[in-house]
Amino acid sequence: MISYLKTNTLSSTSMNQVLIFVGLALISGFGLSFGIHSLLVGHDQTFGTSREVPWGILVSPYVFFACLSTGLCIVSSLGQVFGIDTFRPIVPRTVFLALITMATGLMCITLELESPWRVGFYALLSPHQSSNIWWKTTIYSLYLIFMLFNFMSLALKKKKRAKIFAIIALVTVTMGNLNMNSDMELLGARGFWSENYMPLYFLSLSTLTGCAAILLFSWLGKVFGGQILNIEDHRALKSTGKLFMVLLLGILYFTGVKVMGGFFPQFTKNPEAMSLLVQGGFALNFWIGEVALAVLIPLGLILVTRGTNSNILAIAGFSCLLGVFVLFYDLVIVGQLIPHYYQYNVVDLPKYYTYNPSLHEIMITTGAIFFFLAAFVLGEILFKKTYSS
Amino acid sequence: MKVKDLENLNNEGVDSLSSKERRRFLQFGLSITGVFLGGSIFSLTSALKAQGALRGGNIPVTDFPYSPHYTMVIRQNHCIDCERCLEACRSTNSVPAHGYRTTILERSVPIAQDQRERIFMPILCNHCNNPPCVRVCPTQATYKDETNGIVRMKPEKCIGCKTCMAACPYNARYFNEENRAIDKCDFCYDTKLKESGGKITACAAACPANVRIFGDLTDPESDAYKLIHSPDKVVWVLRPETDTLPNVFYMNA
Repeated sequence: MISYLKTNTLSSTSMNQVLIFVGLALISGFGLSFGIHSLLVGHDQTFGTSREVPWGILVSPYVFFACLSTGLCIVSSLGQVFGIDTFRPIVPRTVFLALITMATGLMCITLELESPWRVGFYALLSPHQSSNIWWKTTIYSLYLIFMLFNFMSLALKKKKRAKIFAIIALVTVTMGNLNMNSDMELLGARGFWSENYMPLYFLSLSTLTGCAAILLFSWLGKVFGGQILNIEDHRALKSTGKLFMVLLLGILYFTGVKVMGGFFPQFTKNPEAMSLLVQGGFALNFWIGEVALAVLIPLGLILVTRGTNSNILAIAGFSCLLGVFVLFYDLVIVGQLIPHYYQYNVVDLPKYYTYNPSLHEIMITTGAIFFFLAAFVLGEILFKKTYSS
Repeated sequence: MKVKDLENLNNEGVDSLSSKERRRFLQFGLSITGVFLGGSIFSLTSALKAQGALRGGNIPVTDFPYSPHYTMVIRQNHCIDCERCLEACRSTNSVPAHGYRTTILERSVPIAQDQRERIFMPILCNHCNNPPCVRVCPTQATYKDETNGIVRMKPEKCIGCKTCMAACPYNARYFNEENRAIDKCDFCYDTKLKESGGKITACAAACPANVRIFGDLTDPESDAYKLIHSPDKVVWVLRPETDTLPNVFYMNA
């Protein structure tokens, strides 16, 4: 157990903190340099994707960070939009986390594009209003700007202005999240994820990851800054923990629906993909990642400690984030592995297509994660006062 | 009920059938005939509507939305897998070695117990009337030509997100690393139709067995039109469940 003391003093930035930031930034730069190399030589040389499986692992961190940012925005709105006092202490850090997670997500998707230099030009000059991808990217880019203004207003203690930007950002990111679902649903031609529960599932998952990130990074922030949690912080984390637990139960239900679909084809619109996920080649990912890490372990930890121990809450949050990352990897990849002409008795057509992430893709993903971590540490160094106010 | 039981039943005859039941039976038969014989029906109605027709529903038949409305009929039982069409496509459209616009799938279809039939099935872009690839493209790099209905590409607008590849139910697209854009069949629009006045594609011209019949659905003199409207032939499309309304038709003729 940890003791809860009210602390008013903020420690100055130490050399160790700067070194940690530099170390994380260097690893991030090294990882992302693989992305630059891929852009120069072409993805056919460096990526594990193919004609049959065109989307690789890099789409997963994009979806993961975008959903995480959505969740962080939703939880931050509890304090700054809906005025729930308990959540107020965690608002500034949560808003900053929402900002950097979305930036990381957009960076991932940019590096996943083969010709990203055309985006700026033709997304503006030749927009396609029927395209969910266009809407999603536009919405998320606007959201990033709104969150930036939200954080700046918080840093400048302009509460009213901050609230206005928070409301706009909340509406915007919810629209983006619903687009994310439509995006996947449109690809239903290939047995992708077009289940009826998906919009609610995406929104619940997003809020869940938001809570998990707050539990983990609030704790990490305090450890990094050498501070002790004060009573308000602890109360906020405890409330976040309760919300986290309720959402875990909700996601447990959706996971149950997946299991049903995996074993009984009549419960799903894409039985081949669900079977591959639940009892096929992705079963290890599903049962360890999506079931154990994402739901059961965090739920067990919270129930055992009754959600009062901040250290345990942080571990539960970490476990959940890890599991949900695996979940999004499965979500992106599994649907693509169903062959286009699987019902036509085609000779030599495999039962499932295969995809394995290449070194470049793994390094870029690692670089993106470390980019986020470096940005988080930078935030802890630069915005101590904002966080503690 | 077993066959023997059926044989033991008395024949009730048709005299006892009410006129309402007769009409329903006739409507059902006409609907099925309409679905299998009308090329325009396949092209313009969704799979759901076609399924509705099979259950006795109504099929709205409207005009072809394009003029000329380009189509290709694949007489798949004629295909011998010589691959001349593939070579012609490559050389005409400068298709790089790492991709293809059209290919031939080899099928092994069960026809009886322990018996299978070997069928060669050429595939290409289906130039759907409801193309998912066009719907998902964020920059309109791929689009449906408003005049002739061909699903075409503007490579300079392609950002390489590959969503169209993920959305296409026919695996008809690939990423061309040479111009860093998606490439696909355009019925040789850029290389042949535009220049020679829209008569024939490279693959159709190269086929020694007349497997690929290219034509115009609005022209009754077109071979493709005649084949699709032959009352004694069954016409089908690939993956009708995806509701894409393809303009490439398959038949054994």
